[in-house]
Amino acid sequence: MVTITQRVATLDNTSDDPRQRQPLILGNNDYTSITEKVCGVVEDPKVKKAWLIAFLIAVSLTGMLFALVGYLIVTGVGVWGNQIPVAWGWPIVNFVFWVGIGHAGTLISAILYLFRQNWRTSINRFAEAMTIFAVVCAGLFPGIHVGRAWLAYWLFPIPNQMLMWPQFRSPLLWDVFAVGTYASVSTVFWYMGMIPDLATIRDRAKHPLRRMLYGVLAMGWRGSARHWHRYERAYLLLAGLATPLVLSVHTIVSFDFAVSQLPGWHTTIFPPYFVAGAIFSGFAMVVTLAIPARAFFGMKDIITIRHLENMNKIILATGMMVGYAYAMEFFVAWYSGNEFEQFAFINRATGPYAWAYWIMVSCNVISPQIFWFKKARTSIPIMLVIAIFVNIGMWFERFVITISTLNRDFLPSSWGYFRPTLVDLGMLVGSFGLFFTLFLLFLRFLPMIAMAEVKSILPRPNGHGEAH
Amino acid sequence: MTPPPSAASDPMQHASTAPLKVEQVTLSGSTMGLAPKMMLLGLVTLGAGLLLDLVAGPKGLYHFAHAYLLGYFFCLTIALGALIFVCLQRLTKAGWSVVIRRLAELIASTMPALAILAIPVLVFMHQLYPWTHAELVENDAILLGKQAYLNMPFFIGRVAVYFAVWIWIARKMLTLSLRQDESGDVELTRKAERLSAPAVILFALTVTFAGFDLLMSLDPHWFSTIYGVYVFAGSMVGFLSVAILGVKFLQSRGVLRDVVTVEHFHDLGKLLFGFTMFWGYIAFSQFMLIWYANIPEETIWFEHRMSHGWGWVSLILLFGHFVIPFGGLLSRHVKRDARGLVFWAAWQLVMHLVDIYWLIMPALNLAHGKVGAPGYAPALHAGFPLHVLDVLAVVGFGALFVGLVMRSMRGVNLVPLKDPRLAEARGFHNF
Amino acid sequence: MNPLDDKMRWLEKAGDVDAKAPQEMHGLLVEFDSPETLLDACRKVRDAGYTKWDALTPFPVHGIDEAMGIRMTILPWLALGAGLTGLAIAFGLQIFTNGIDYPFLVSGKPLISVPAQIPVAFELTVLFAAFTTFFGMLVLNFLPEVFHPLFRAKRFPRMTADRFGIYIEAKDPLFNRQQAELLFTRLGATGVEPVLSRTGRAPMPVMIHGVGLTLTLLALIPPALIVKSRYSKSDKPRIHIIQDMDFQERYKTQSAHPLLPRGAASMEPVAGTIARGELNEDDHMYRGMAGDEFVRGFPMALTESVLNRGQRQFAIYCAPCHGLTGVGDGPIARRADRLAEGTWVAPTSFHTELVLEQAEGQIFHTITNGVRTMKPYAAQIEVADRWAIVAYVRALQRSQRASIDDVPPDIRAQLAQ
Repeated sequence: MVTITQRVATLDNTSDDPRQRQPLILGNNDYTSITEKVCGVVEDPKVKKAWLIAFLIAVSLTGMLFALVGYLIVTGVGVWGNQIPVAWGWPIVNFVFWVGIGHAGTLISAILYLFRQNWRTSINRFAEAMTIFAVVCAGLFPGIHVGRAWLAYWLFPIPNQMLMWPQFRSPLLWDVFAVGTYASVSTVFWYMGMIPDLATIRDRAKHPLRRMLYGVLAMGWRGSARHWHRYERAYLLLAGLATPLVLSVHTIVSFDFAVSQLPGWHTTIFPPYFVAGAIFSGFAMVVTLAIPARAFFGMKDIITIRHLENMNKIILATGMMVGYAYAMEFFVAWYSGNEFEQFAFINRATGPYAWAYWIMVSCNVISPQIFWFKKARTSIPIMLVIAIFVNIGMWFERFVITISTLNRDFLPSSWGYFRPTLVDLGMLVGSFGLFFTLFLLFLRFLPMIAMAEVKSILPRPNGHGEAH
Repeated sequence: MTPPPSAASDPMQHASTAPLKVEQVTLSGSTMGLAPKMMLLGLVTLGAGLLLDLVAGPKGLYHFAHAYLLGYFFCLTIALGALIFVCLQRLTKAGWSVVIRRLAELIASTMPALAILAIPVLVFMHQLYPWTHAELVENDAILLGKQAYLNMPFFIGRVAVYFAVWIWIARKMLTLSLRQDESGDVELTRKAERLSAPAVILFALTVTFAGFDLLMSLDPHWFSTIYGVYVFAGSMVGFLSVAILGVKFLQSRGVLRDVVTVEHFHDLGKLLFGFTMFWGYIAFSQFMLIWYANIPEETIWFEHRMSHGWGWVSLILLFGHFVIPFGGLLSRHVKRDARGLVFWAAWQLVMHLVDIYWLIMPALNLAHGKVGAPGYAPALHAGFPLHVLDVLAVVGFGALFVGLVMRSMRGVNLVPLKDPRLAEARGFHNF
Repeated sequence: MNPLDDKMRWLEKAGDVDAKAPQEMHGLLVEFDSPETLLDACRKVRDAGYTKWDALTPFPVHGIDEAMGIRMTILPWLALGAGLTGLAIAFGLQIFTNGIDYPFLVSGKPLISVPAQIPVAFELTVLFAAFTTFFGMLVLNFLPEVFHPLFRAKRFPRMTADRFGIYIEAKDPLFNRQQAELLFTRLGATGVEPVLSRTGRAPMPVMIHGVGLTLTLLALIPPALIVKSRYSKSDKPRIHIIQDMDFQERYKTQSAHPLLPRGAASMEPVAGTIARGELNEDDHMYRGMAGDEFVRGFPMALTESVLNRGQRQFAIYCAPCHGLTGVGDGPIARRADRLAEGTWVAPTSFHTELVLEQAEGQIFHTITNGVRTMKPYAAQIEVADRWAIVAYVRALQRSQRASIDDVPPDIRAQLAQ
């Protein structure tokens, strides 16, 4: 058990000594300093120049995105590179990519909570926000790729004069429910987690308008222990619900591909493989965001190297799961004796998209292997590079899955090479702009670290602590 | 966040830091005496099954071969579940499970015996695996294509490799753990943790391919990429049930009392619940994708398991292995209640058996008797074959396995006495 | 933040309390600076028998539920009920919409496909349970509750940051300010503060009524427009928002086309094009001719079933004019006679020499292409059926010119009696 005297003032808690659990929060922090640090970012009267520059770039990219979406709706889906046979192009790839990234937030919030991993408290607010914004970016693409986006409401079972209903036997419709549920439940979870912290900001606010705004959001939370009891119960319930939810969402996304009969798509391992891949890319994105944020906002003793190391271990583990799935697909394709399936995999590695395949393999399977070494796991530059590689690799994985299978399926006379257009590229880049716009706003105006949760895992002044 | 009721008025006080007594951590002589009896009972029952099929059954020992594989694989999955549990707990540097870990290590240490018990499976290869029949393979293009993998020498070699890997990991983990009982050397924990990561990877690959080889190739035309994960999920459910029942049994004999508390049982219950859901998820994924695409070369496997009475077994599996225990294990109170948890652990253990049964036995209906038939045409002629041989095999193996596990406990501490995280394990509280 | 200074007086006006009403004691706020002292104090307060009190903490303190005697909430049951409701609704929705109300088969899946319904069922279960958990938590906590006397206490703001507190309401029967202050000082409290509240509620600002009325009236406009459009007719042309969907730049079938032959968008097939299944090389079978001559005899074997078929088809297609016996007394012919409009040509009786001498191929030709005012029946009657009808016509003809030798011997014997 960690006692107050063992709280280390240095910034290294990465030791693996089995005799004692390492402190999670460094730097002699206590309840007051945590509050000051986190609220300080929100209460800062001056806008930091670096934030402003990043925000302006992000906003312009978002503007580009919206302009392109407008162009798409007015002109039609032909502005993309989608063609026959590759009828699903970058929009679907981007959709799966963004939904996957969102999964890490829920995993950190919900699954690590159920596993009593206290280190999650430094990053969960951050990661949950990332989830919401990633799901926003993800939801954009299916909405606009239907062609007549103004009729997208037909996807919902609303009684209408055509007496028609959605087709519930289609995985594309399950997506509507899955992503919709995921977006709303994640938002609820994120918001509920913020209520106590918003109350903290409200109570420190000097300007009445600020106090009223945060007061409304905080719903009058006053830290009552009786309220906390129900709140904690609700948190546990939501964690227990969000865990199968996050698994189900990317499972249903994988069903989009796996329920078909196409070689390369129709394999039973898709659901857990996609979920592992989603967690993989999501954690990589959390690492990519956490490194600059903690440095820039002075949170290095709350989001410590140990937190980053733990995330890197998860990246390694889920990367190995993705590699296992690649190996299974490959082996069973051979074992099945199905020549189309066998061709699909040989084509991936040696066909016209081989370049994409090898980028994927080197980024997803090979590059995370460096995390076997503790030095790599605890080195900021290395983990930042690997995290970015992983995200690149995971985008390419969705690209390889979607496009290489459609490009060459059963009948050679139907084969056709897919080329993206500038609109495709612009929308991908623009979606990053949207994501970062929302994220930068979050960093500036909302408490980026779950203060109440971090305080609850701090070693208590009398020596009872629960750090892992 | 109500902590469990305890005598201490301050819930934060770590319970039971009292030193451990010998009776709490070692199996008494009288209980140990059960071990050879169980092993003998097991062997005799298996022998009776063999005799019954030789004398009263149709020629060829087909049924006994399948029944043997059933009982054997059931026990193997328990041991594999134990092994992966040890590796995962080491990998995650878990504290709560230290009091359970020794039991898991001992269950896993039966690997060498299980390796020897695998030999009859290899002896029965002709009865079990259609691809071992040259005449069948010659006339079947698909089997010819798989010959590089599905041939007897490679198969035997692979099985040997699987066991070599499992025996090595199990022994290493147990040895490191036992050595720490004497020296208390912290470095041993670090070694075990460092071993656990590559162990998990080796485990993933060996269990997957063992599942492919021993079970999936019973129907060599069929394939599923998720099969390895399915076997893993079932193994975990099986092991967790055994762990709960095993600890309860030991506690009834005075061992592990006040060491493994309601908090640990709660966690085991949570894991059992979680893996029940995971099993359901994997089983559903496999079924849904094959059902939806409706490709005959894949759906035939489920067809075999939905006709001639097998439909009932499938429904029992769906409701019994997933839906009902989901409802049963949902409540916090059930997981913390001794009788409730024991009930559901026993239930899931039986359901795990039904799962293995459902995986293996439909293969008995395939055209084994008609080896000379041109081509490979699975024919359902026997229907749902619940038979006294199956009961004998399961009972026999069950007794044998229990005896083997108990034998491994001879003179061994059932708690890693000098594990650096033991105090944390003994004092931990749940939500 | 408190006491209120000039900057914030307008906030008080916005509150629900009347700033001019007298103040009274609402409760006592006691401050602690560590969770341990707080827990200790809580136990004492619980044991002393207080009922209307609470603790205030910036984070959930482990062990406080027991220290305060807080009972487990019913929230998990609400979540369970909501989840089951969501599950039922999901299955009901899918079964009703796809299986009962508008059933249509898609890729061979059954109308009620349970495996395909599971993903949506799962999602709705989680959705209902999650929302009920969150809103249930708020409702059970009586949140949002943005006006509470505690917010005006001087020591309150730090309760959500780094201090801990116990709040005992004056309404508690055991409340006694002096005793409480003594007790808490002994227990290590770092401060005690009485919290006051105003006894009167502020009157609703008049403006609110006006704003509410305006908003309600504005909100009624969209439904009113909808009702109007549903129950009235308009002969104005539709509004086409999506111009290039409603007025597509393509040629429709049968419309004029400046470049194609015949000036029509639909082209004729290339000369000599034969549709699949219509090669019809067997002249005997398909035209009843050999070269330019009508052919005699049938292209297929005559069996009882052929004749039965011919009888059936004859009754359907031919009998209305030719009558059931072929003399030409079908109901249409009789009516035409009665009407006597001068346009009718009576059907030739089959029993005349003319028809008796015709080749089978010619009869077939007549059915296929028509003759005089009889229209072609090729479109209604398949080739095989036409031959069956020809066979039946022959049977009819024979029926009027049969001899005793045509009767089978056993029936002949009966007739003799």
